[in-house]
Amino acid sequence: MIDTIEKEDPVISEEEAAQYDRQIRLWGLDAQKRLRGSRVLLAGLGGLGAEVAKNLILAGVKGLTLLDHEQVSEESCRAQFLVPVTAQGQNRAKASLERAQNLNPMVEVHADPDRVEDKPDDFFLQFDAVCLIGCSRDLMVRVDQLCSQRNIKVFCGDVYGYYGYMFCNLGQEHNYVEEKLKVVKPTRDSNDGPEAKKAKVDLNETTMVKKTASFCTLKEALEVDWTSEKAKAGLKRTPVDYFLLHGNEKCQFIKQVKKYKCFSVIYVILDSKPLAGFFCVENSFAGIRPMSPPSTKFHGHGHAAFA
Amino acid sequence: MAISHGYIELADSLSSCKVLVVGAGGIGCELLKNLVLTGFKNIEVIDLDTIDVSNLNRQFLFQKKHVGKSKAQVAKESALQFCPSANITAYHDSIMNPEYNVEFFRKFMLVMNALDNRAARNHVNRMCLAADIPLIESGTAGYLGQVTVIKKGMTECYECQPKPTQKTFPGCTIRNTPSEPIHCIVWAKYLFNQLFGEEDADQEVSPDTADPEAAWKPEDTAARATASEKDGDIKRVSTKDWARSTGFDAVKLFNKLFKDDIMYLLTMDKLWKKRKAPTPLDWQQLEDSARPQEETPGSGLKDQQVLGVWGYCQLFQHSVETLSSHLQEKGEGAELVWDKDDPPAMDFVTAAANLRMHIFSMNMKSRFDVKSMAGNIIPAIATTNAVIAGLIVLEGLKILAGEVETCRTIFLNKCPNLRKKLLVPCVLDPPSANCYVCASKPEVTVKFNVHKTTVLALQDRILKERFGMVAPDRKNCKTFFGYYYYLCVVRLHELEHDVEFEVVGEAPDKAPTPPSNQEEANSITNGNKDSAQPSTSSKAEDDSDDVMIVDSDEEEAASSATAKPAPSSGTKRKHSDAETGETSTKRPRTTQQSSAAADNDDDDDIIALD
Repeated sequence: MIDTIEKEDPVISEEEAAQYDRQIRLWGLDAQKRLRGSRVLLAGLGGLGAEVAKNLILAGVKGLTLLDHEQVSEESCRAQFLVPVTAQGQNRAKASLERAQNLNPMVEVHADPDRVEDKPDDFFLQFDAVCLIGCSRDLMVRVDQLCSQRNIKVFCGDVYGYYGYMFCNLGQEHNYVEEKLKVVKPTRDSNDGPEAKKAKVDLNETTMVKKTASFCTLKEALEVDWTSEKAKAGLKRTPVDYFLLHGNEKCQFIKQVKKYKCFSVIYVILDSKPLAGFFCVENSFAGIRPMSPPSTKFHGHGHAAFA
Repeated sequence: MAISHGYIELADSLSSCKVLVVGAGGIGCELLKNLVLTGFKNIEVIDLDTIDVSNLNRQFLFQKKHVGKSKAQVAKESALQFCPSANITAYHDSIMNPEYNVEFFRKFMLVMNALDNRAARNHVNRMCLAADIPLIESGTAGYLGQVTVIKKGMTECYECQPKPTQKTFPGCTIRNTPSEPIHCIVWAKYLFNQLFGEEDADQEVSPDTADPEAAWKPEDTAARATASEKDGDIKRVSTKDWARSTGFDAVKLFNKLFKDDIMYLLTMDKLWKKRKAPTPLDWQQLEDSARPQEETPGSGLKDQQVLGVWGYCQLFQHSVETLSSHLQEKGEGAELVWDKDDPPAMDFVTAAANLRMHIFSMNMKSRFDVKSMAGNIIPAIATTNAVIAGLIVLEGLKILAGEVETCRTIFLNKCPNLRKKLLVPCVLDPPSANCYVCASKPEVTVKFNVHKTTVLALQDRILKERFGMVAPDRKNCKTFFGYYYYLCVVRLHELEHDVEFEVVGEAPDKAPTPPSNQEEANSITNGNKDSAQPSTSSKAEDDSDDVMIVDSDEEEAASSATAKPAPSSGTKRKHSDAETGETSTKRPRTTQQSSAAADNDDDDDIIALD
């Protein structure tokens, strides 16, 4: 779908050129045209959802649908900045609509109060990209399956205290371009300057190189057999919290008896082997910090960066 | 949600402490939103700027209806909507105003910069050192960003590592032998000032006869004599006066700048022995051979089209007419100030620069590209600023929780590194012992020609411009805010041509060779007109957070296992990188140390359990 976008409305107005000037200078006019031709679905308008909504709207997509069945609670206004403090009891998507729209009147912003689980398949198919925030695993797998087959880009994510994750599936054959600097070859009559005697990297000229990437589905990612040799080899570069966050059926959580001051230790066990350890600061907004399990029999384990 | 132990104190301190945000632009808007939602109740924000339409793609506290209004003021109003009970004070002012003295800074527990220029950063750095208030410094450019913490006595200050000064070009390159489009653009901006703005002796546009490369002999050639006679010996008449005397006749101006002056340059034949010589233009010839410009509709922005030579001749003529009438309207002694967002001013520079590029055999550039270079535009998007603002608050919370030792410099890269990290934290360096800003006895030595340098030049170019002093006191050689600087005067006559002064310990203030792509990308996050970031080639990636040590004995064992390079090695490596022009490791190395650390960690993670 995205490949056909350019045919829609190819001419950028002066108003758009002025407003989007600084980002056109970064990602180019072609990218901006693709953005302004895309329709995006955003399910989940909590703190993370509001940030995503803001960023997509400012970028200048054609349309953004805010989908959320939840009601605005007292906490909602502190979690995100699109919901007015006076909107308690209202639907969260509808309450976010006005401020979201004001971020950029050139984007068509819609609010939908339905449950994302209740939406039929063809609802999702009208979009070029879908973002699922704080959704259940079953829903994410279903939508991911449905969309990636039709070249609809899928993004999932959520946050927990200081932790968060993002998953994306851009399709089995995702085409993109990468900007590379042009190497200026030395010629006598070089047009870029009378002194170009040696080959140099011309900082002003770049060229676009076409590339393709292949993404796995969410289902495939979740079904990785972490006990296999291949997967174990990749564990070193896999953040430990990956396992905590996606709650793989194969992982069981064991709460360890030892208590250190105000925290307790939790281990992630995979097929009866300790995979990762965490210590959990109780009831604290600081969340959880990872550490390695006590067993030295375990071959390799991942490390997480805690910024 | 229940909060335990030390976090209650943190929550209290959030709601009671006062913080200052310097700048209400890209980073500032995101930062204000974050501070308000995190629970900060007393925030002051300052910005001298007003809102422009090009800000609206990322400075989301502003809407179209706010264009022209004060950024600080509107930012305050929008942020208050998120938390009406917050106390936000907005100042539409420059932070460099002496009103914001040390006492003012002492009101705050934390200062956060959201600036886009080095002069202001230097100033806030010094004020925070003087007031001993922690400062969180940050910057973004395109997809790249960085955050760092500055705490007096504990970390490097913003000026501990010398940063390359803004790129300037020698006069003879601009006036005689341009080889890159940027030289022609700088020339065109100088020309604007000479004709319509404040005339500056350092912004001459006419051929430089004193060019050492030309090996000029006073016994002139016939051509030179002819040229002088034609123009009535322009050296004695200012460019503006001469132009005015012709009634700002565009064609006369064109022929002088793009024909006569070029022919003059051609007589300096030594310059063209190894260079391609310029080709003068003739207005009449161009007009006669002009063909209608082919339009390429739709594919790019209007501004992205590159016109033909005659197109730029017409643009030159048109913009000269518009600008000269603006000037006349303003009356006697009036001056125009160049502004990239003023269409005729931008048209003029586009036209003049392109004509010059054509003369010197360079490919001409579109108005879009010329505007980028002439206006020092740094591309910007919302998301980079959002990430950086988030990191600023996280560092701020560490400071307020009394955990400054856990603060880091964090880099946001465009692509993940070998460890798949986009965000790379680095340990903060201690202060530099001979930093002329934060050392206990700050001192710097400057060499300049005592006979040739006027006191005014010493004040303006050296003290104010180079060292960022706001109000140097001539009598006692100290700045307004109590920093003492000792200048050792050395009588030196052998400074190179075009070098006005030299700060001992740095390379002379000249145009450096173009940096490698990585360096340049890294170095512009400090904003417009800045050329470098706080250098980090010495910094190890911070590995200590990878493994959380529970028992204190193991903490020491683990830190010694993670081998970090000694901080003192940093300075040496950095200078050698700059001089050899290698792609510097200003983004920290990740591979060797990290894998070594990982392998060693197996034994360190044994935790005793009951």
